[in-house]
Amino acid sequence: MPNSHIVSSFDEDLQKLRDKITDMAELVADQFSDAECALTTKDLKLAAQVKEKDNYVDQMEQEIEKTAIEMIAIRSPMADDLREIISAIKISNALERIGDYAKNLSKRVSVLSEVGDYTVSSSIISQMISIINVMNEDVIDAYIHKSPEKAISVWTRDLAVDNLYNSLFRELLTYMMENPEYITAATHLLFVAKNVERAGDHITNIAELIYYIVEGTPLEMVRPKGDNSSETNVEFSG
Amino acid sequence: MNMVNLTDELEAKADTSAPKIRAQKVNVHYSSNHALKDINLDIYPNEVTALIGPSGCGKSTFLRCLNRMNDTIDICKVEGRITLDGQNINDKKIDVVELRARVGMVFQKPNPFPKSIYDNVAYGPRIHGIAQNKQELDDIVWSSLKKAGLWNEVHDRLDASGTSLSGGQQQRLCIARTIAIEPEVILMDEPCSALDPIATAIIEELIEDLKNRYAIVIVTHSMQQAARISQKTAFFHLGKLLEHGDTTTIFTNPVHEKTKDYITGRYG
Repeated sequence: MPNSHIVSSFDEDLQKLRDKITDMAELVADQFSDAECALTTKDLKLAAQVKEKDNYVDQMEQEIEKTAIEMIAIRSPMADDLREIISAIKISNALERIGDYAKNLSKRVSVLSEVGDYTVSSSIISQMISIINVMNEDVIDAYIHKSPEKAISVWTRDLAVDNLYNSLFRELLTYMMENPEYITAATHLLFVAKNVERAGDHITNIAELIYYIVEGTPLEMVRPKGDNSSETNVEFSG
Repeated sequence: MNMVNLTDELEAKADTSAPKIRAQKVNVHYSSNHALKDINLDIYPNEVTALIGPSGCGKSTFLRCLNRMNDTIDICKVEGRITLDGQNINDKKIDVVELRARVGMVFQKPNPFPKSIYDNVAYGPRIHGIAQNKQELDDIVWSSLKKAGLWNEVHDRLDASGTSLSGGQQQRLCIARTIAIEPEVILMDEPCSALDPIATAIIEELIEDLKNRYAIVIVTHSMQQAARISQKTAFFHLGKLLEHGDTTTIFTNPVHEKTKDYITGRYG
């Protein structure tokens, strides 16, 4: 634990900022798991709640930015304090994006509940979201405990999400070629999967920021990138 | 031949990779008080080096070693080697008056002489015999006042007393007085601590400009000032130099825990 500041109100301000980040991260994690629940159970009411709550997420981002800017103006932070306050702004931006993806998932519940069966694909999406939910929880834990080890552990898990996304991408392309009636559902599912994959990228960014706050240097390891869907081409068999 | 010499001179002036001042294993005792312990620090030309640290850490003592101001204190004993362009400044053959002309100093409290603005600046060139005639002396006084950013405010009252100026103007007058004798290094001991924010900003702008011609070493208690104006920062603690390096690194990612605690305002 670092020593306390001589001006104790600086410590209080920093703690308030940390609490706000934790609250926002927990809300965003809830939003994501609720969106998954709405998707798998075709629960339109829950989907509507997720969309509505996104306003809170946006408000929290603005509040964190405001608090951080005020602290920079008033406290003139240095070293790890400066890194933590600047990172708070970036973390809140990343969380806001993850919140947007949860909202986007919820928006598609209505149309996906009306189209045909998509059990196999939704099972892969559920697996992706399960990993994201655990990553969300663990990145909050890494933030609270300022643990670079926990942050790196979260960071490496994004590869599993990318791999699932790649296999889903190929699967949905194949379905669409075999049965054009599946195109509507498959297109929406592709967007759902892409949103989940992007959420993983943002959680990975947060993990990198936690590492930077503690160590003072960027995470030098090469980021495992598994999303190769932009190069995927499935040939027509006939 | 002249061209070659000129080129050599320009190259020598442009060589900022060699330290202007090099302190090696410097120890200072005030009677039984061991004020500085094994200080090794290089000061480079065309850079501002900030010395920071809590009160009593030895930063002002170190600053005063660089132009032998500690010679005036009987109980003070300086050991180790300090060189200016490779020459040992504590060598018995060194003329301390000439040394202090090469390594000028600006103090915490502006201390103009109770003389006119003109005479304050002309004082150094007169005693060092730098000007050959009145015209040359005028040129030195005017250009020094211009370099110190004071000319526009005083050009029509050079006969007025230096002590009639505001605090910030007095400090710039002292800087003009220092640069009138063409020093190579300027030492500044908390030069803005008695000034308001506007006068401080003017001095900081001046320091930014002066560093293009001189090596500057500044002692400051303001972390923000050190971060704003210096390229190198040295952190002193209980007589030791705990950490020194690029200012941006010291203020964003210091290595030593004590440095971090000091610059972030924590209990060390």
